Amino acid sequence: MEVKKVLHVVVAHLVARMLNLEKLTPLDTDYLESLGFTWHTDSDETSYISDELIVISEEEAEAYYEATNELYDMYVEAAEHVVQNNLFHEIGIPFNLVDIIKESWENDVHWHLYGRFDLSGGVDGKPIKLLEFNADTPTALFETAIIQWAMLKKNNLEEESQFNTLYEALIDNFKRLVTLKEDVSSFEEQYDGWSFLFTSVKGNAEEENTVKLLQHIATDAGFETEFAYIDDIEFCEEEGIIYNDKNYELWFKLIPWEDIALEESDLAMILTNIIKNQKAIIFNPAYTLLFQSKGLLKILWDLYPNHPLLLESSFEPLKGQKQVQKPIFGREGGSVSILDEQAQVIESVEGEYENHKMLYQAYTQLPTDEKGLSYQAGVFYAYEACALGFRKGGKILDNMSKFVGHRVN
Amino acid sequence: MKYIKKISTLATATGLGALLATGVTGCGDNSQQIEQQQQAKGAFIIIEETALGKYKIKDEFPADETRIVLKKLDGTEKVLTKAELDELIKAEAAKIDDGTSNLTKENPPQATQGMGLGETIMASMAGAMLGAWIGNKLFGNQNYQNNRKAGYKSPSTYSKSKNSFNKPPKRKSSTKRSGFFGSKKSSSRSRSSFGG
Repeated sequence: MEVKKVLHVVVAHLVARMLNLEKLTPLDTDYLESLGFTWHTDSDETSYISDELIVISEEEAEAYYEATNELYDMYVEAAEHVVQNNLFHEIGIPFNLVDIIKESWENDVHWHLYGRFDLSGGVDGKPIKLLEFNADTPTALFETAIIQWAMLKKNNLEEESQFNTLYEALIDNFKRLVTLKEDVSSFEEQYDGWSFLFTSVKGNAEEENTVKLLQHIATDAGFETEFAYIDDIEFCEEEGIIYNDKNYELWFKLIPWEDIALEESDLAMILTNIIKNQKAIIFNPAYTLLFQSKGLLKILWDLYPNHPLLLESSFEPLKGQKQVQKPIFGREGGSVSILDEQAQVIESVEGEYENHKMLYQAYTQLPTDEKGLSYQAGVFYAYEACALGFRKGGKILDNMSKFVGHRVN
Repeated sequence: MKYIKKISTLATATGLGALLATGVTGCGDNSQQIEQQQQAKGAFIIIEETALGKYKIKDEFPADETRIVLKKLDGTEKVLTKAELDELIKAEAAKIDDGTSNLTKENPPQATQGMGLGETIMASMAGAMLGAWIGNKLFGNQNYQNNRKAGYKSPSTYSKSKNSFNKPPKRKSSTKRSGFFGSKKSSSRSRSSFGG
């Protein structure tokens, strides 16, 4: 038995390999603009969308699907553990969101619309490992659902497959906000004309058009919808969420819950009472901040020690191993550092989160290409795993990382 | 497999075909309102020295009279006198005027261990009140609003403090509030700063 085990390790090591990349004709910017995808070019004038696709096997796609579904179930268990044992402070949840998180956790109407798992491995012969879960305000929706698909079409690859049913999965999950079960066939019968308001903060094209894409999908699902910027909406504990004198029972906001807690604490209080008074339902629900907190990675490791999909995680620097130090609520790689075995910084990205509580996660090398660029898989989850996309960049993926599509061979 | 589908099947099965043809539609822009803030008269603040000459706000509560307790690295505690406070605020005000204060720099140096004592006090709610005469210099400054958070030991201290100071005005419970995030500075970047 022992011999077999050793052999297995050797084989696994041998099959670790470079990515299979395929060069394509890029989409032209006029077309991207016409779709509303206006953030196609980064501030250094380079294209945000890679003109290469990652070619993966059906088995690799299947493995991402299975891993993501399993991870979601583990997150639900871990969040329940936090709620039952009152560990909100431990994982860095602002105290003024605890009530609304508990309220949303207790009732199924607060349905999780969608999230995105960031994973390493899976395409380079190495095992899939969870990096983090963007459960509250995931972007890369447009790129994953639409752009990588349009790239296949443009290159006459339409007969090929892609792990990408994001659009369809979101239609079904929007319907589940009403049916509250897997089967969505009773949506038309149960939907009572509730109005759905979609919201972003003024001044950011990516956020605004990501929200408008979601609005488009909700309209497609059969909802009556409207868009408004956050500062034009009226909030009232007794009456709910109002825009242009009209009441909205359903509200989607692409605004991080922790920003509401820290920057607009009055709004956090009003929203808590709106939920308690059952005047509106908010998406993604407040409890998705539990998933979003990187503190939950430590809780996961406590509950599932040495689980094959997890990397060791702690609130204290890990002893004697290379690791990544991440702020609990950092975004886009800000204030993330890679530390060596002696906990000395090897590489870091500056950011505004250095005063936040930190999580220490065992280092894992991301899949790399011949130029030494690192790739990270993003698997969307909407009731089940439903789409795959990649981002590439340096060892720490930041706001200058590029989106890379894929196809299944 | 349910989830891997041919493009042609999906494009016709959903409204995606229509989206690919027309894109997402635009939306009108309305004028924005700025939220008014109400503040308490004074504050009780505990400031902790986290490294030699570096400080962070540990806790902060509204109070009638302002008191600042300083916990030093060697474990001793002292209450700052009025004269010491005035001196620190005056010095910080001069730095704001000549642009050397980290509070108003767009990209302050990494403040992992904290800020200077004057900066830390000014970052607190009370600091802004104590130095009311320089308050306008700070509150109109977006960099100050961003950098203030760095003065707190944890985001929840900042939030707790802000929450207890911004008592909602006395009103009927049915009052509508709007203008949230209205003063947030628009980014020149087109890509989102969050989303992981």
